[in-house]
Amino acid sequence: MDHPGRDMLLPDLLPTEKLLAALAAEFGLDAAPECEASVVYADSFDWRLYRKGYLLHCHGSYWSLCHGDSGEAATQPDGPKLQTSCFAGDFPPGELRKLLEPILGGRCLLPLAEVNLHSRQISLLNRDKKAIAAIEIRQSADRERRTLLLRRVRGYEGEHEVIRRILAENGVTESVLPLTSFEDACRAKGRSPLDYSQKFTLELDGDEAAREAMIRIYQALLDTITLNMPGALADYDPEFLHDIRVAIRRARSGLIFAKRVLPDSVSLSRMFRRLGAITGPTRDLDVYLLAQDDHVKRLSSCLRPGLQEFFAELSRKRQVEQKKMARMLGSRKTEALFSAWQQALKRHDRQTADLSDLPIRELADRIILKRYKRVMRGGRNLDATTPDTETHRLRLQCKKLRYAIELFGSLYPKQELKIVTRQLRKLQDILGSFNDLSVQQEMLRQSVITLAAESPQKLDQAAALGGLLQSLFQEQEALRGRFARAFARFGNQKTVMLFHKLFRKRGR
Amino acid sequence: MSVIAVYNIKGGVGKTATAVNLAYLSARQTGKTLLVDMDPQASASFYFRVCPQQNFGAKKLLKGGRHIEENIKGTDYSGLYMLPADFSYRNIDLALDERKESHMRLHKVLAPLMAEYEYIILDCPPNLTLLSENILYAADYVLMPLIPTTLSLRSLDQLYAFLDKIGLGHDNLLLFFSMVEKRKKMHAEIMLSLRERFRVLQTTIPYSADIERMGVYRQPVAAALPASTAAAAYASLWREIQENL
Repeated sequence: MDHPGRDMLLPDLLPTEKLLAALAAEFGLDAAPECEASVVYADSFDWRLYRKGYLLHCHGSYWSLCHGDSGEAATQPDGPKLQTSCFAGDFPPGELRKLLEPILGGRCLLPLAEVNLHSRQISLLNRDKKAIAAIEIRQSADRERRTLLLRRVRGYEGEHEVIRRILAENGVTESVLPLTSFEDACRAKGRSPLDYSQKFTLELDGDEAAREAMIRIYQALLDTITLNMPGALADYDPEFLHDIRVAIRRARSGLIFAKRVLPDSVSLSRMFRRLGAITGPTRDLDVYLLAQDDHVKRLSSCLRPGLQEFFAELSRKRQVEQKKMARMLGSRKTEALFSAWQQALKRHDRQTADLSDLPIRELADRIILKRYKRVMRGGRNLDATTPDTETHRLRLQCKKLRYAIELFGSLYPKQELKIVTRQLRKLQDILGSFNDLSVQQEMLRQSVITLAAESPQKLDQAAALGGLLQSLFQEQEALRGRFARAFARFGNQKTVMLFHKLFRKRGR
Repeated sequence: MSVIAVYNIKGGVGKTATAVNLAYLSARQTGKTLLVDMDPQASASFYFRVCPQQNFGAKKLLKGGRHIEENIKGTDYSGLYMLPADFSYRNIDLALDERKESHMRLHKVLAPLMAEYEYIILDCPPNLTLLSENILYAADYVLMPLIPTTLSLRSLDQLYAFLDKIGLGHDNLLLFFSMVEKRKKMHAEIMLSLRERFRVLQTTIPYSADIERMGVYRQPVAAALPASTAAAAYASLWREIQENL
């Protein structure tokens, strides 16, 4: 019973019983009792399904995914029960899971809206009493709107033609989205579709005074942190914490001239440092754990159990760290920092500083150009012999440049910005992978030392870590050889000219 | 993406009940599944109330392609599809004999379906013919129900000899005991002696009135009576098969 169908609107003047009588003249009807159902709509926090045109809803453990254009895409009768959150991997193998996994990735599903409705399910049977299709008639709780969903069973096209004719004769032809009350239901839970994105989307006006624009930027970043905080504290998925850390980094990247724009920024800088320190250990462990599958694949099957044991311990450590982090984030001291931030941004009688009234576009040019020059200086001598600490420093400079470009992105032409960002991302990918490999090797080395001290019975783990260290080392060495070429691409004349064209000093 | 043939030279050993229940469990637990009824008696098709289209028969089956696509029908269970059998399958050996590479025909017909289904389960007729040879070539695994009797032992020996003759190994053969009656001493003795000689799966399917009644309610026992001993036995068998694939 899983052939795609579409919801159709039942005309107000058509009694349901009349339609059923028309169908009963051709088919046997097997009606399940009418039920009142509470349908829960689920999506990731950042609306990954909605962005792709999908609506996913569940009633108990029965799940259904609909696409706005093509109708019902997949159903799953015995999926997970959605209490607070669940992942695509919690679904049994099948069509729905196959569709969800690539879209959701590591993000969890959360209940984002709830709609109450009356539902009647009726199977249409042929002469052998075999169900050849089923219809579901749904009515919203306010009885304002009735929809009909036809689920066709494969291989009975002749019968489906008869059903379509009967529906058309009764005026059932208009396709609609499953429930128009979806957006209202979202609002009831304090959400609205696409109200959150992982991208920084604040629109700036180039002529706006720097102080006002920076206040808006910091307010938006504070909002991002506040929105993600409940998810990070409840530990729904690692992306909540990741988004908080990105917001902190973005905020820090804008602080380069902050003292000359917002005189109160010294306290902001202290706060970001504290937030960074609190959230760091849990995020580091998240990064190691997200690499688990890749790391296991690197080893021969005889070494894998040892590594899995090691990751199980890492996962336990993460739980401990996450609890510690949640305690600190929820502490009075942190709360006080947030409210101080909030107050600082709202205060009107702020002291002026020399760059406060500069148009934001000029400030953005200065920040980005300064960050860019630091990257160029750091990367000029980059080659296979560059010490790891230098590479790490360059990676941080690249990150800061990238965050600054993201913060002020709305001030520049999209197409050209895309070109410089793409070149920067390529360089970042190599430096990032190199650094990850370096950090992971260091973590594994430390773990081996601790293991040896703990117990000789952990030989399996030690052997697995040894194998993994070797594999990571080889990959890191291969990356080292690609530095010079990657930087040459980033520092080529065309990109340099584009950077200067976009972010050059303007006539002051 | 595996083809599992439920096969035995001997009839009345519980092949169809096994194919129907395992196909149901596969669709429910693993993913999209196709049950192909190869038996002209069409018992599996009867259980699911599915009939072939009027113009479908052995020749169309062997042509494959759209002739098969058009005849696959949905069952009452999500993710479970079936290709129903036709009475003309009784002459399928003649139709096969007319074709080139007649022993590989079924493999070629099923190959394009492999990408769409997680499992294709074949409910096979009881004999040792050209069709049987086709089934043994096409299947990734052959699942063989054995009633613990001396005749079953004989049919197993015959199958081994046939596999040797056509040059197929014994590695993909999965044996399990079916229609087992605990109170029969002979069943226990034969099971013990067969386990000494052959690798047989641990799960046994009991002789059960619930399974016999499948013909009355026309549903897999795992769907109609999910709490029954028989349903639990099939669930355990499916688990063990997956561990062995």
